[in-house]
Parts: sequence; structure tokens; C-alpha cells
Amino acid sequence: MSVRVRVRNAETGSTVDMELEEENTVQEIIEGAAGYWEKDAGAYVIRKGKKLLRGQQTVLGASITHSDDLELIPDPEGG
Amino acid sequence: MEAVIGSRCLVIGAGALGNEVVKNLVLSGAKSITIVDMDEVAISNLNRCIFFRTEDAQAGRSKAEVIAHRAKELNEVAKLEATIGRIQDLPSKRFRENDVVFGCLDNVAARLHSNSHSYYHRVPYIDGATMGTSGKVQVVIPPSTPCLQCAMNRTHYKLMEKRFSCTGADVTFFEPKMAAEITTTSVIAAVQVREGLKVLSGKSDECIRNIWYYNGLANRSDVLEVDLDPECAVHTK
Repeated sequence: MSVRVRVRNAETGSTVDMELEEENTVQEIIEGAAGYWEKDAGAYVIRKGKKLLRGQQTVLGASITHSDDLELIPDPEGG
Repeated sequence: MEAVIGSRCLVIGAGALGNEVVKNLVLSGAKSITIVDMDEVAISNLNRCIFFRTEDAQAGRSKAEVIAHRAKELNEVAKLEATIGRIQDLPSKRFRENDVVFGCLDNVAARLHSNSHSYYHRVPYIDGATMGTSGKVQVVIPPSTPCLQCAMNRTHYKLMEKRFSCTGADVTFFEPKMAAEITTTSVIAAVQVREGLKVLSGKSDECIRNIWYYNGLANRSDVLEVDLDPECAVHTK
């Protein structure tokens, strides 16, 4: 079963709707959204509310459901 | 305070975060600090590094040695030791010799190394990271909390061995990332040391249990929950 979610770009505020299958991974959502916005090479994470989702989790495993709002955040790596 | 004075701290990375973390540690009373870094001071470091001077860059002085030397001016009885080199080249026992490890690094590979070796030796690891006007702090207290690796994904691994300078210049690998601003660095380093002082004074229970994200433009900070990854190699016996 597929679910439709909205991913928000934390840097610009823009959003994109994504159609996902239960077996899609968080990593694939990150790469799909980063590719859509043509993000620079860099580390990114996805949050759902107060939860940071692990890359290997599937849509089902991460309890992502229809109409969820996700946010793509650049992960700082500088020092 | 006595616990802080008698503690041993390892600061990995002597860039902008390393400068601020050492300054905060010395002013908080820490007297035994080891600083590890492989780089020399560059002109482009000067606008965000409290201990660096123009003559250090001109003379090509080691970042770790300059911090160790100048931080002593804040407390002349403090013992500051500089180690020049990559953290990956140091014996693992160097982690075990410390009560807390501060990660002030600029690349994923060194972060993962520091994370796993601290975890192996059961030494709390406090990682700071910055980018432009945002940053984050993660506190890893073995064996009760998730570690850095638990929160990483494929985008992090693609960055392995690439180095993001705190200044964006004078490095071998330059990526078009926004340089960290000193205000961001100050905030992140302050939280790192605050968390370190909790660890040293026996208040680990009050430390950040997840990841603290800071957004200086939006005047916002959030603690995001991260789960321990059951497949994370760091936790697997």
C-alpha cells in the first residue's frame, strides 16, 4: 500500500509531495528530496515531529503514514 | 568543582570549536586537557579562533600547540598537552586515559573513529558540529545512549574522508558549504562544555539524551529523539 507524505525543505520552507511504498527506506526519501531540490553534496537527515528517522528504516518500520509531514534537515558536519 | 579540576579531558580538533571548547574548559577549572589536531593555523582561521594570531599563520604553527600555549595564559597551572596528528593514528588507549572526550571535528571519518573508540572504552563522548548559522550537539554516554553512528545514513558515508573546513578555505577538499559563524561556534561549544561539566560532576542523567539542533537564523533549538540502531556495529558485541 502506498502513502502520500509531504516533505518540507528546512532551508527554504518549500515542500514536495512524495508517493511512497511501505518498503521504501528513509534513505531513499532523503536522496529523493535532496535530488528534487538539487541540494549540494552533504549530509541530510529526516525528522518526523520530534523524531529523527534512521536511514535504514522502511516507511512501515518508521511508522510513516498517509499525510505525514516530514522535514529534510542539513546535518552540520563542520567544526 | 573538585571533580572538574581533577578531570582529564581530550579535545579532538583544534579549529573554531576546539578553540572555544578549550577556552570554556580552562575557564571552568579543568586543568588537564589534551588537544589533538594535524593542521597548522591559516589566515582564514583568525576570524573565529580566539587563540590564533596572524604570526601563528605566518609561521605555520600547529593549531594544537598554539591553543595549548595560549590557553595556559588563562590558567598558568593548567596542564595542556598538544598532540599533532590525526586522531586515527593515535593509540586507542589515549581515549581510555580521559574522563570525557570532546569532538570538535570537521569530517565524518574522524567523528566515527572518535565515537567508536570512546564507546569501546566507555568514555562519554560529546560531539559538536556547525554549518553557517546552525549546529548540533550529541552526547554519547556508553552504554545507555545511542551513538553518532546510530543517527547516520548514506549521505554521511558519501562524505567520508571529505573535510569541511570551519573557514571554507586553505584545505585540500573544499565543498561549497557555508562557513560556520563565530556566534554559532560559541553556542555549540558552550553547550558541549556545559554537557561535559554535567558528566564530570556526576550529573550524566541530566545530559542531552538525543541530539540538540540549533538554528541561529530562526532563533530555534530542538531536541530530536534518535533511537539506538539495533544493527549499529558500535553496540554489537
